[in-house]
Amino acid sequence: MQLLQAHVAQDIISHGMAMGADFVDVFVEKTNSEGILYKNSKAEDVQSGTIFGIGIRLIHGEQALYGYTNSTDREELLRITTLLGTRIGKKQGSMTVNFEKLTYPKIPVMVDKEVDAKYKLSYLKKVDESLRSDAKVSQVMLNFMKKKQMIEVYNSEGLFATEERPYIRLFHSIVMKDGTKQSEASHGPGAIGGWDFIEKLDQKEITDLLLKQATTMLHADPCPAGKMPVVIDNGFGGVIFHEACGHLLETTSVEKKASVFWDKMGEQIAHSALTALDDGTISEAWGSLSIDDEGMPTQRTTLIENGVLKRFISDRLGEMKTGHKRTGSARRQSYKFAPASRMRNTFIERGPYEMSQMIESVSDGIYAKKMGGGSVDPSTGQFNFAVQEAYLIKNGKITTPVKGATLIGTGPEIMTKISMVGKNLELMAGMCGSVSGSIPTTVGQPPIKVDEILVGGEA
Amino acid sequence: MKNVMDRVINELTDHKAEADLFFSTSKSLKLSAQKGAISEYKVSSSQILGVRAIKDGRVGISYTEALDDESVSLLIKQALQNAETSEPNTDETIMHLTGEIRDELNKPEAEVSINIKTQKALELEGKPKAMDSRVVAVPYNSYSESDYYSHYLSSRGRSAIYTDKSYSITASALMDDKGKKANFYDFHSAHTFNELKWDKVVENSLFHAKNLLEEQSLPTGRYAVMFNTDSLKELIGCFSNFYSAKSALDKMNPWGAKVGEEVISKDLTIEDHPLFDKSFRISRFDGEGVERKPMYLIQDGVLKNLYHNSVTAKKMNTKTTGHAVRGPSSSLNVTGTDLIIRGKNKKPLPQKYLEVIEMAGLYSGANRVTGNFSVAVKGYMYENGKKTMTFGNVTLSGNLIDILKRAEVVGEELLTSTDESFFSVPLIFDGISIAGA
Repeated sequence: MQLLQAHVAQDIISHGMAMGADFVDVFVEKTNSEGILYKNSKAEDVQSGTIFGIGIRLIHGEQALYGYTNSTDREELLRITTLLGTRIGKKQGSMTVNFEKLTYPKIPVMVDKEVDAKYKLSYLKKVDESLRSDAKVSQVMLNFMKKKQMIEVYNSEGLFATEERPYIRLFHSIVMKDGTKQSEASHGPGAIGGWDFIEKLDQKEITDLLLKQATTMLHADPCPAGKMPVVIDNGFGGVIFHEACGHLLETTSVEKKASVFWDKMGEQIAHSALTALDDGTISEAWGSLSIDDEGMPTQRTTLIENGVLKRFISDRLGEMKTGHKRTGSARRQSYKFAPASRMRNTFIERGPYEMSQMIESVSDGIYAKKMGGGSVDPSTGQFNFAVQEAYLIKNGKITTPVKGATLIGTGPEIMTKISMVGKNLELMAGMCGSVSGSIPTTVGQPPIKVDEILVGGEA
Repeated sequence: MKNVMDRVINELTDHKAEADLFFSTSKSLKLSAQKGAISEYKVSSSQILGVRAIKDGRVGISYTEALDDESVSLLIKQALQNAETSEPNTDETIMHLTGEIRDELNKPEAEVSINIKTQKALELEGKPKAMDSRVVAVPYNSYSESDYYSHYLSSRGRSAIYTDKSYSITASALMDDKGKKANFYDFHSAHTFNELKWDKVVENSLFHAKNLLEEQSLPTGRYAVMFNTDSLKELIGCFSNFYSAKSALDKMNPWGAKVGEEVISKDLTIEDHPLFDKSFRISRFDGEGVERKPMYLIQDGVLKNLYHNSVTAKKMNTKTTGHAVRGPSSSLNVTGTDLIIRGKNKKPLPQKYLEVIEMAGLYSGANRVTGNFSVAVKGYMYENGKKTMTFGNVTLSGNLIDILKRAEVVGEELLTSTDESFFSVPLIFDGISIAGA
């Protein structure tokens, strides 16, 4: 069933164009969500809901006019279009647009096996019991989220595209206590797909991972401070590329010259060891989409090849303002946001080194096994990351665990200092917050060695 | 809309469930500029209805943004289904409160034309560039206004209505001086258009961005540090779970069992004040419709109270403090209102100290269970009362509990955060660890 009648979309677009717009698109969204918070060994919070709304965008020159409403009422939608069109102040002849439904290759997703709430609760109970197998675990929180986002995109070029995007995620977190010492550990696998993804998770491996991390960090010493080499492990380590470089390659920043890389296309911006991609087409990956939120099929985009900047992450407005071709990267949290160029599954490509070679090359530094979150100011390139699990490296060997490490620096500087890239690529699900809201993205990398970075710890 | 809300309450009551509802609507306008023209113009109108149904001691939450009959029926059905799925929680009930209360923060004002708003929005982008040729862009600039309405209704007969109209502006200055870049942004919010401080946000952005062009790293070591009011608000707010009874029950609050004990410096008193006359937004009732009142969290260094809702209060054998929070799509929790930090035993300013004006990465570098944090900071060094350098590219780390124990009061005037929700006397924290060059 269509979320919005095509003739209503046609009327909105015709009206917007008649008011002087160069381009009009209509984004319709219905998202059904369900969630269970399993905490204190019980289902503390069970909820479900529906969000529904329509976003209308008029583009005139480089100006984007955006409005949204929950109503499907034709008159209300035309009222919003008028409100936006009045800003253009240029009337032109009316036009009729005929929509042609877009066909595109669909990203493979796991079959969504329907299971009832009791089944889910019994699954979560088992995970909870497994994570509590260590008596020092004082709290377990399991946050289960499943949602189906259904979108329709209509535009003045005659495009009509639809997609159903099923998301599923189980976020695990534990607190461990020993006397006055406490530590935390978390892991949040997610995918495009259904319950099958949850059942395929290796819960024993996740339990071992979390218990080991929390146990290790419980008795860790404060991290020493200063500039030093750092080996960052695979998976969520990719957040360093996401923050230090990825955001700076989005045309949302480039178009305002608010990225330090805005004029560096074709130049060497990173160490020659580094090749990086943003790929929206990976089967089942959390950041994958078959089409973006402007209705363009997604692509596999090589951003940096052997250190040379090859492409920016671009959407329609980005292409208009910078000339860099769209990459199927227009994304938004919901109809409440206008689309913007955003990352999808972003990762550093595999390299030739073994992890042992990287560790052996460091005489005095840090091994960051598990990264936390971070942030960046694209205009200056300055970033920061927290490290959740870290160890000292002394004379080419991993030694004692340390806590409280933060890595800071600037994107252009750090990209030239990634000198070794490992073989074992791993992707991890995360959420990325930026101009068009909070969206699912994947970060990833093989292990990498950064020759020098400022580690913030205890002075 | 009242009819729809009554329908939901009545149908759930017919199913022998108790319930409360939140219905909210929001209308907004946002303008931002680029290259001397309006680049973004955004208007919105949205609504959401959320219900908490409690049946046989089990709680179910559901919400919808579509309000047609079919969607409302689904909302009711899902709330009951979710209640069936959840586990019994006999402590959670709808409070026995009746009557209507209102919190209306709208101020009367004359209509302002869209042309004036557009002109002022363009100036937010144009002025920083005109004032200094080193400003290469104004990446963050916007004018926005928002009209918000929220209605709480319970099956016990409580009705609480909140309305608020607010305006806010943001400006920034991205400066480039021979390849060295610096950016700073500032904002201001007001309840009427004419109260907006347009020049202040531009001047502040430019002032700090200019100074940050000169930023240098600091030698690694320990320093006396003063957080400016916005940074202190951010730091204290990051660890708001320390005052939460819910976090205490979840074993996520190091102060959970310390009510009555001295937890920080005896010189400090921290008050949660929902009705403070200098606040931007006072709050007369909480998420269960309970009327709020001021409360000491910490008095002379001693932890006096935690934030409670009716459920945490029952579990901890006390009374709700009026700190329940719940939105249309969220379950019951607790949260604070505006904080006031007062102090005594004023000490002189140290000869040398750092003032932190910007922090980055606090939330990812903080451990809310232990109070440890590590954060990238920028700011100014003062020596003998004079600003002697701008620092950056350093990290600051510590433990919130430890540093609050060492806090020294260095002034009597209550300083106000930019959003007018946090008030504190100036404080110095000695021996703070800084990692730099």
